[in-house]
Amino acid sequence: MELLLHHLYLVSIFGYLLSAVISLIYLFVKKQNTGNIIVNALCIAASATAAAASIGKIFLGVEILNIFSLQATIPFITLEIRVDNLSAFFVLALSVLVFCVSIYSIGYISHYNGKRNIGLFNFLYVMFIISMFFVLTSANAVFFYISWEAMSLLSYFLVVFESEKEENQKAGTVYIVMTHLATALLFIGFMIIYHYTHSFDLMAAHNGTVIPEMARNIAFILFLVGFGTKAGVIPLHIWLPYAHPAAPSNVSALMSGIMIKTAIYGLIRFVLCYLGVQDTWWGIVILVLGILSAVLGVAYALMEHNIKRLLAFHSVENIGIILIGLGVSYIAFAQNHLLVGGLALTAALLHTFNHTLFKGGLFLGAGAIQYAVHTKDIEKLGGLLKKMPVTGFMVLCFSLAISAIVPFNGFISEWLTYQSIFANILPGQIGLNFFSAVAVAALALTGALAAACFVKLFGISFLGLPRSEQAANAQEVPKTMNIGMGILALICLGIGLFPLTILKLLDPVVGSLGGGSVFSQLQGGFMLAYYPLTVSPGSISPAALVLALAGIILLALLVIRIVGGKYIERKYGTWDCGFEALNARMQYSATGFSKPIKIVFRILFRPTRKITTEGDSFYYPESIEYATTVASIFEDYLYHPVIKRLQKFSQRTKYKIQTGSIHNYLIYIFAAVLLLMLYNRLA
Amino acid sequence: MKDCTPGRIGNEAMNSIAYIIIQLIVTLLAAPLVGGLIKKVKALTQKRKGAPVLQMYFDLYKLLQKTSVVSEVSSWIYKAAPYIVFATALTGALLVPVSTKIVPVLIPGDFIMLVSILALGRFFMMAAALDTASTFGGMGSSREAMISSLIEPSILVALFTVGLFSGSTSLPRMMQTVQVTGFPLAHPVYMMVGLALLIVIIAETSRIPVDDPSTHLELTMVHEAMILEYSGRHLALLEYGAAVKQLVFITLFVNIFIPHDQLIPFMGFGAVILSLLLYLLKVVLMAVVIALIEVNTVKFKLFSIPNLAALSFILAFLGILQFFILGGHHV
Repeated sequence: MELLLHHLYLVSIFGYLLSAVISLIYLFVKKQNTGNIIVNALCIAASATAAAASIGKIFLGVEILNIFSLQATIPFITLEIRVDNLSAFFVLALSVLVFCVSIYSIGYISHYNGKRNIGLFNFLYVMFIISMFFVLTSANAVFFYISWEAMSLLSYFLVVFESEKEENQKAGTVYIVMTHLATALLFIGFMIIYHYTHSFDLMAAHNGTVIPEMARNIAFILFLVGFGTKAGVIPLHIWLPYAHPAAPSNVSALMSGIMIKTAIYGLIRFVLCYLGVQDTWWGIVILVLGILSAVLGVAYALMEHNIKRLLAFHSVENIGIILIGLGVSYIAFAQNHLLVGGLALTAALLHTFNHTLFKGGLFLGAGAIQYAVHTKDIEKLGGLLKKMPVTGFMVLCFSLAISAIVPFNGFISEWLTYQSIFANILPGQIGLNFFSAVAVAALALTGALAAACFVKLFGISFLGLPRSEQAANAQEVPKTMNIGMGILALICLGIGLFPLTILKLLDPVVGSLGGGSVFSQLQGGFMLAYYPLTVSPGSISPAALVLALAGIILLALLVIRIVGGKYIERKYGTWDCGFEALNARMQYSATGFSKPIKIVFRILFRPTRKITTEGDSFYYPESIEYATTVASIFEDYLYHPVIKRLQKFSQRTKYKIQTGSIHNYLIYIFAAVLLLMLYNRLA
Repeated sequence: MKDCTPGRIGNEAMNSIAYIIIQLIVTLLAAPLVGGLIKKVKALTQKRKGAPVLQMYFDLYKLLQKTSVVSEVSSWIYKAAPYIVFATALTGALLVPVSTKIVPVLIPGDFIMLVSILALGRFFMMAAALDTASTFGGMGSSREAMISSLIEPSILVALFTVGLFSGSTSLPRMMQTVQVTGFPLAHPVYMMVGLALLIVIIAETSRIPVDDPSTHLELTMVHEAMILEYSGRHLALLEYGAAVKQLVFITLFVNIFIPHDQLIPFMGFGAVILSLLLYLLKVVLMAVVIALIEVNTVKFKLFSIPNLAALSFILAFLGILQFFILGGHHV
């Protein structure tokens, strides 16, 4: 059995590599459509194999699978791939998403036909997937680092793929700078660990004991900032709202769906497994960052009217929710409450998986809108549900899922997060409990604001009257795109209705990370009940609830038919107060929709507005232009001052050190040689 | 843990069916009554005679007979929303027991689920309001988005605090716990949380000072603006759904903060009937209180509502902090 799984993983890697080679060949072929289909079909097959292998590995209880190990002649560099439960779970998330995105890409990429080199795009796309695969499975820190760097660079090339647009270049620059700062910090972290353990092996668990406390804390902070930047934790999130909209939508789906989750993987792999959580404050820091990211992420998302920027801010929010779960679990682990820690870790991992599904789906939906309407601006959409019924239905499903509304999967992971916070409130630790209370309030506010935001997204773009010519002439997207989204939506609904299936899968994963078994505490059948102590904190059964909903709707239909008779409908125009000139511009706009919330939280948004009127009459102007801005406080008060100082500093050095005079440079060389000689002498 | 002998399961199934039937019948029959009662009390305080208490039943019956006028602009969301709003409100009612004398071993949801299921209804309500391309609908939808997001933290923190007393997020268990504690509202934690929830009820049921259920003036309306386009059976379902939701929140409040089942020392059929009568009495009292609040306040302007929501949240948060300090002990 183990051999079979081993071969499945090898076949999957081989499949990806083969499709990379084929896309390279198609780099030089004029007609690229068949190449696109072959490459994506190979990706679909490879990801299905990897998904099957991962599920098999976790369920069969195989602890660690050594896939292959290539010793290079260069010291320290060993290409070693090993899959344990944690890796298998993240590989499963990656594979499910790649499976759906590749189906979607067959149709989506067709709009590049003749305009761009699809072979190049597909090569970058496949290599990006492979690099993420290696990040999630590499067995030593050096190979992890190489894969991580490859992942960052490949995603950078994908972000700037449509490089003729100036905003994409800026997005790429912000992204590459932020991601390299993060990588540098990770590098220092690895070095600190190597200094004490003399090993780059990742799987040697709980090495933290041999590292002195000070160094361990420093390593934790380095990892937190390094991975936090990749994850998009506030205040390190600024690259996300630039990079995600710039990339083609299938790449945005991968970046937001799984690439930022590799940082969550890193936080678990390096902090929980490698350093071992010993201090409560680690958990508290993660929890506070999670709370900040969740609330501010959704707040900024509400102010956005570019669909993909809006979704990018929602990624910040959802990373926040994951970190709340992770923070609670680290707090519980540090205090040896293994069952509570296990529950919170389950919640965090499940939300990671769920977010992969619905955020991937939402980016694919945004891509479908862009494909049909050629705009990312919500204010130019409207009435798309009639033109694109299938896409609209999918986006509705994903919107409900991300807003944590039953019967979709987002609710399950948020419910588990609430339950873990609930279980973590213990008498006698008022300080910790305070953070728990804040986390509850933050989660509630986040959920409600997210629902408001997705009513805006869905309502303004898919309902009402079309707000532009293109929206009025939109057509449904190719079938493959809808199938890709449909599979994701089905999995969202499946997890939402039958959460025990995925929890059973998560149980060994959490178990191998040292958490108590949550699944053994659950009731079977339809119920999702949880009994950690002697009393039951709560139980839910989404399936039963949906049955009740359906029953009530049927009953209502029946009673209304009996009492009210046959349904008679009269089509008529929307009430227009008697003006008889109702048009699309009189509808609420996305800006108008979120304005009350902007005013309530004006201390955060610092909105400005500018109204310019044209025409002589004050009361009857010919045209009015209304412009409004929202301040992004982190860029204005944190990044811009730092960048300004840096620029000033480098300007100064330019004139004082880099003078361009050959004499000065000769002195520098002389001084350097002198110093080296001195150093040699002393050492 | 669950006992799996056949007799026990049969009993449990009977118990569950009885529970579902009682919940549905009581909620469906009492919900329109509460609205009528509030209107009657308001009329009486204003020295008017007012509409009959049963007026809403007549209205619903009449609306069901009428033709539905549907906007040409709208999509299937518009027609589906009334059914979903009604069904979610009624499913929500299934999670909040009217009497703890008959409660199945496991109810398939807790208060987090309750909030989420009501959010499903609200999502469709807000979307449907945008569907007709009417400015009124958008306005109502946008305002509802603001009010509901501001009120949701306080409802969850408040119920979370009550849940901490019983060590459970399940509503029946929370209600059973307060029954053994004497009069809950004398406890400082419950006092804070109770006040917070009272504000939540007013906001969630679209009453003065947050919203005005009796007006169609565009400057003031929220809920009425969202359902402005609806007519016929769709309108009937929405009105009924709103009434059911109102009753769910009232039930939540009265059964947690004014428990009554501890007064009935025996079990069985008689106990259930007596318990239901006491419950109805509490609901009537609550309706009078809400009516009196409505009579004695004026509608706030829209941007004063955040202050009210903040007050509610601060009360709830102080409640939970007080719980941490005082612990679960009863003073």
